Amino acid sequence: MPLSLTIVTPEGVRYEGQVERVVIPGSEGDFGVLPGHERFLSPVRIGELEVDGGGRRWAAVSDGFAEVNGDRVVLMVDSCEFAGDIDTARAERAKMRAEREIEQLRQQHDEALGFRLEEAALQRALIRLQVASKPHRPM
Amino acid sequence: MPSLKDIRRRITSVKKTQQITRAMRMVAAAKLRRAQEAIESARPYANRMRDTLVEVAASQGSEHPLLAVRESVRNVDYIVITSDRGLCGAFNAAVLKRSEGEIAQRQSGVDRVAIVAVGRKSSEFFARRRGGQIVARVSGIARVDIGHARDIAAAASERFLSGETDEVVLVHSEFVSTMTQRPRVVRLLPLAPEPSESPEAKAPFTIEPDAESLLRLLVPKAIEIEVFRALLDNQAGEHAARMTAMESATRNTEEMISRLTLQYNRARQAAITKELVEIVSGAEAL
Repeated sequence: MPLSLTIVTPEGVRYEGQVERVVIPGSEGDFGVLPGHERFLSPVRIGELEVDGGGRRWAAVSDGFAEVNGDRVVLMVDSCEFAGDIDTARAERAKMRAEREIEQLRQQHDEALGFRLEEAALQRALIRLQVASKPHRPM
Repeated sequence: MPSLKDIRRRITSVKKTQQITRAMRMVAAAKLRRAQEAIESARPYANRMRDTLVEVAASQGSEHPLLAVRESVRNVDYIVITSDRGLCGAFNAAVLKRSEGEIAQRQSGVDRVAIVAVGRKSSEFFARRRGGQIVARVSGIARVDIGHARDIAAAASERFLSGETDEVVLVHSEFVSTMTQRPRVVRLLPLAPEPSESPEAKAPFTIEPDAESLLRLLVPKAIEIEVFRALLDNQAGEHAARMTAMESATRNTEEMISRLTLQYNRARQAAITKELVEIVSGAEAL
């Protein structure tokens, strides 16, 4: 297997080994890397990483960068967890919490948006009244 | 001359102190091991990131605002990192003394020096000290993770970009070894990327989407890592310093106990001798 893959996070090296192919969630879209890829650098978005080397494995990665250098691939990401290592209960809790927060923010935002719309309507009405009070002269 | 009872009480009390210092030494040793592991774990990521940044910045000509050195530096922020707790020898004092020296030297050349106090000892120190106003405090970090570093780095970057400050300096304790921790002063902003080793000439990267956008993501990360490193070093240094301090405290209690025991035995011997003399002289008198 001629492609060497290293995944590093601030908490340590998460993976180091030889693989056949990786599919990386780049910021501009997923891209696959095979041996002999050009020197390449791309941001990594939160997404699914696919590692193919004698059976395929998946990992959840978050923001970072991917550096492809000949037959070496280095992923520098905030976190990387392979399918078996994921604490699903914790992820569920985080999901619920985030959804709740987003819903709250959206309501606030809607209120703010409504306020701005009403404010604009008020301003339009005021200007109309102000102008209407000026002399009416035919053009 | 203290009585036998007094000495005995004293020995018991010193023994209790010794139990405490011994326990603290053991706790510090365990925490130190974990803290050292955390430093080791962060190193590959930090080195990788720095190399990439150096290369991209070089190919791009350092266009990022967080890398730009300002012509006139009027406001300077000092991020001073210490531990929350004491009983760790001169660990915090060394950092605080160094930062005070740095600030005193700098103060004459600039309009204003602001302090970001990380750790309770730092914020207590700068609250007492005049000049150099505290603009932010961070404390209660039980175990450093990248999130803490991200918050501090983001706040510093924001102040820098908004023009509230023209330079941010980081003062922290560098973890050299268990026996040695050194204060370290490093400019955080504008960031000056330094290669970890001399990079060999390589074909340029194909960068997606483009170098500028990549740099925009890369630079904040690099700043985060610099802060992360400082926090990790501080954490390990604190435990190492406490371990050493408690070790010598335990040694001191041992010395004290043996001295007191000697004193106790002598006093006991003296009392016995005195009694014998009394009996003998009493018998002679008959």
